Amino acid sequence: MLRRALLAAAAVLAAGTAQAQVKELRIGYQPSPIQDASIAMFESWGAKKGIKIVKVPNSYGVYVEKMTASLTSNSDQYDVIWHNDDWGQLWAHLLEPTDDIEALKYAEKWGMDKVVFGNAQGQNTVVPMGQTFSVFFYRSDLVKPEEVPKTLAGLVETSKKLQAAGKVKFGYVGGMAMNHSWFSWLWSMWANNCDVLAPPYERDNKKLAANGWKSMMTEPCMKETVEYWWDAINTHKISPRGMPAYDRNEANAIFMGGDAAFTVADTLWWGTFNDPAKSKMAGKIAAARFPLGPNRKDPFAWDDIWGWAIPKSISPERKALAKEMLAAMMVDKEGQMKMFKATGAPPPNTTFWPEISAADPFMKLLKESVLDSPHKVRGAYYFANWPAVHKAFNDTVTKAVTGKREDIAKVLAEGAPSVSKAAQ
Amino acid sequence: MASGSRPLFGEQQRFMLLLVLPAGLLMLLFQVVPIVIGANASFRDWALYNPKKVWVGLAHYQAVITDPAFLEVVLPNTFLFMVVSVLGALALGLALALLLNRPFRGQKLVQTVLLVPLMVAPVIAAIMMRWMFNDQFGIVNAVLEGLGFEGQPWLVERWTAFGVILLTDIWLWTPWYTLLLLAGLQSLPREPFEAAEIDGTSTWRVFTHLTVPMLRPVIVVCVVIRAIDAFRTFDIVWTLTGGGPGRSTELFSLYAYVLAFLNLDLGRGSAAAMIGGLIILVVGVVLYRVTDRIAKA
Amino acid sequence: MAMVRQPMLFANLPLGVRRLLFGLAIVGICFLFAFPVLWLILTSLRPESGVYYVHRGTEFTLGNFAEVFQDERVVEAFANSAVIATLATFFSLLVTVSSGYMLSRFKGPVSSTWFGTIYIFRCVPYISWVIPLYFVAQSWGLYDTYVGLLLPHIAVHICFFSWLMKGFFDGIDPSMEHAALIDGCTRWGAFLRVALPSAIPAIAALGVLCWLFTWNEFLFALILTGNRVPVITVVMAQFVTEMGLRWNLMAATAVMALVPAFLLALFGQKYVIRGLRL
Repeated sequence: MLRRALLAAAAVLAAGTAQAQVKELRIGYQPSPIQDASIAMFESWGAKKGIKIVKVPNSYGVYVEKMTASLTSNSDQYDVIWHNDDWGQLWAHLLEPTDDIEALKYAEKWGMDKVVFGNAQGQNTVVPMGQTFSVFFYRSDLVKPEEVPKTLAGLVETSKKLQAAGKVKFGYVGGMAMNHSWFSWLWSMWANNCDVLAPPYERDNKKLAANGWKSMMTEPCMKETVEYWWDAINTHKISPRGMPAYDRNEANAIFMGGDAAFTVADTLWWGTFNDPAKSKMAGKIAAARFPLGPNRKDPFAWDDIWGWAIPKSISPERKALAKEMLAAMMVDKEGQMKMFKATGAPPPNTTFWPEISAADPFMKLLKESVLDSPHKVRGAYYFANWPAVHKAFNDTVTKAVTGKREDIAKVLAEGAPSVSKAAQ
Repeated sequence: MASGSRPLFGEQQRFMLLLVLPAGLLMLLFQVVPIVIGANASFRDWALYNPKKVWVGLAHYQAVITDPAFLEVVLPNTFLFMVVSVLGALALGLALALLLNRPFRGQKLVQTVLLVPLMVAPVIAAIMMRWMFNDQFGIVNAVLEGLGFEGQPWLVERWTAFGVILLTDIWLWTPWYTLLLLAGLQSLPREPFEAAEIDGTSTWRVFTHLTVPMLRPVIVVCVVIRAIDAFRTFDIVWTLTGGGPGRSTELFSLYAYVLAFLNLDLGRGSAAAMIGGLIILVVGVVLYRVTDRIAKA
Repeated sequence: MAMVRQPMLFANLPLGVRRLLFGLAIVGICFLFAFPVLWLILTSLRPESGVYYVHRGTEFTLGNFAEVFQDERVVEAFANSAVIATLATFFSLLVTVSSGYMLSRFKGPVSSTWFGTIYIFRCVPYISWVIPLYFVAQSWGLYDTYVGLLLPHIAVHICFFSWLMKGFFDGIDPSMEHAALIDGCTRWGAFLRVALPSAIPAIAALGVLCWLFTWNEFLFALILTGNRVPVITVVMAQFVTEMGLRWNLMAATAVMALVPAFLLALFGQKYVIRGLRL
């Protein structure tokens, strides 16, 4: 009897100490300057608390697949994982709600919207890592701030002028291939009151469903957008002929090589563009608002976040510790300042923004034209089939822009059902 | 050798099974089991993010084989790719093997250089090729323009993009053919060739009537095995064009990959892969018969 | 084929000119063949600002290599890749030599079933089973372990290598084994002491190719490893991120990965050509 009681007590004791002794947290992420900077904050917290931070880098090509498989198989491989708005809804049901992290009150509300990261119970499932979105970059040695084109037509005009004067080989270069659509197709569409699905800028799945997941392929605004790029490439020759196949690496290489005057890229590239070790054009690059198409009068701003999330399947002790770490990161002023310095990404705590913006003109621009903008656009859609919709969209517009100009409307009309169908 | 009626029968069976046991066991665990899981998924509603695993019968199969893109773009592309890639690499490999089979100064060095594509990871080679064929910073256009020709946007036009893919694939696989065929050539008996020389038979006739028939077993293996692999080619195409522009260079494995890895629909993706597997199974058998007969004739 | 016809086409040219043309053609072919790799090597020597426009500018640096080597994971990955490629080669040959021998020496239901099986499973595309393989590896506790990476690499070679091994044994006269059996040798003895030694050149040839395949393999490694068993291809793949590609570092790593492959091919080609006779 006594022996059994002792054994039971020992078991309880052992379990108790095992639970209390969470000595390490495993972070599943993808190496990049912003994530490295965020993890540096985890590490400085861990150093203080005596918790080991185990970094588990995952490759880009298989990140979503492996992480999704890991989340659904309830393995406790990771305690904290990199999270992105694109798969906000894909994983919402597999992630621990984070509403009880008090420091989230400092986070920006737009980026953490329920439409993106909320689960079926309306709980939030993310902690922000930083804001990630693209802006319009231009060569400040060629174009004065007041000369930066305000419209898509102006972009053609300015580019032609620069090219005619022999100052630069091309006006605009930007990624266009699948999964790089943002850097030409999507922003120019948003600049023209156009979007992948109707109505434009709508991200509420209920409303999109009520509208039959209708694609905007057959709208005049889409035809205008495709014709714009067709002309830019073939008629005005302000963009390279190979551009419809470019990914961001190719476009950025051309921009940094000094062969283009304008591009659209993520703000995270600000640091790279201006780093003499990486870019031939360092010190000659500035950013501005997007030029607008004929259908749109108000400027718009694209704004999203990257974040961290906690898998639902890990033990309560690990969850609590992970939340403690993320809360500490949210208020780590020194670390967030460093993050901005290293990357050009606005850090997660909004209360630090005014100070950074007062000291740094790039942040000032981001704050004025994007973060404080009343006209924000979300960079993705938030339903599980978005990758399929995105691919159907990109395939159709690519086919249209690489074909004959007079066939554009026909190709778009043929592709329209594939986009709607992919959404359902 | 040993016939079944001998008392050794049981012992022989045991010997046979023991010989394949390690290979069979490994294959069972790491190939058969995953493939069966995949095959099982192909009959179910099995999204990677939400594995409901509800039985849906042949719905995924039906969706794939009634998809016009699969029938009209993907399958023709895949077969075209298979034929050109296999024949191209076979022709080039044979030419290089014949070249290396004759002694000349520096033969050793040339042989080493021709094996270079075997040494580099195909994904890296594909990225390198993509940058080389970039219309702005690519070396190919730089050379063309230096020679006074107009540079081409290689990857935005269907057939030039297809050409770049094929070039990369043939480049990567030619050494493999060269090695097998060269080994085959060196093991051929001398006498028939010496006899042909005495008869004054033309080089071309020797090649078509002696060399090729005698290399038949090697050629059959090369063609059949490579055809199966070519049918499944994935990484270099994904890296070079992603199936684009539009979907004009999409191959079967990309079709399945997009379903399973991009759309995270494991059920539909597995069904597509199974259909492709069945097709190549049949094609492989037919190819084996046909190549064997052609080479014999 | 051009090479075969060449003597006819140029038969009327003097020998010296013919030799020159032949030499030029060979140099041209070699240059074109090696070009992508030469260009990769040149790329790896360029600073990050010139890594795409390789032909524009003359700055060269060893900085990329230095940066890659600073990461201790890279060194670890090289060691891991070498160990895994070597072990995978050894075990692949070990299990397929017997399976190929069986296919070659015996006819009948067992043999044809096995041949049918390896043929069928050779035809199933990777795409359909890498994700299930991940689940399997995870549930058996093999995910991100040496063994979990090694065993699938062996399994994947079984179909192809058994087929080739069968071809090698087909080319070896079985009468010696018959004689050995009559002399009272066991079947295992006949296989191991008589047939196997004659197949050594072929096995060596396959070994070289197997090592190269495993060394350069991407997909399994990406799916089956996390951070505990970094291998070189995975480290390379990690230079691709959501924000773009670190091409300078990737190229430098790829060039370093070329060195062992090159050495093996350089010294191994003799055995490959001698051994790969079907």
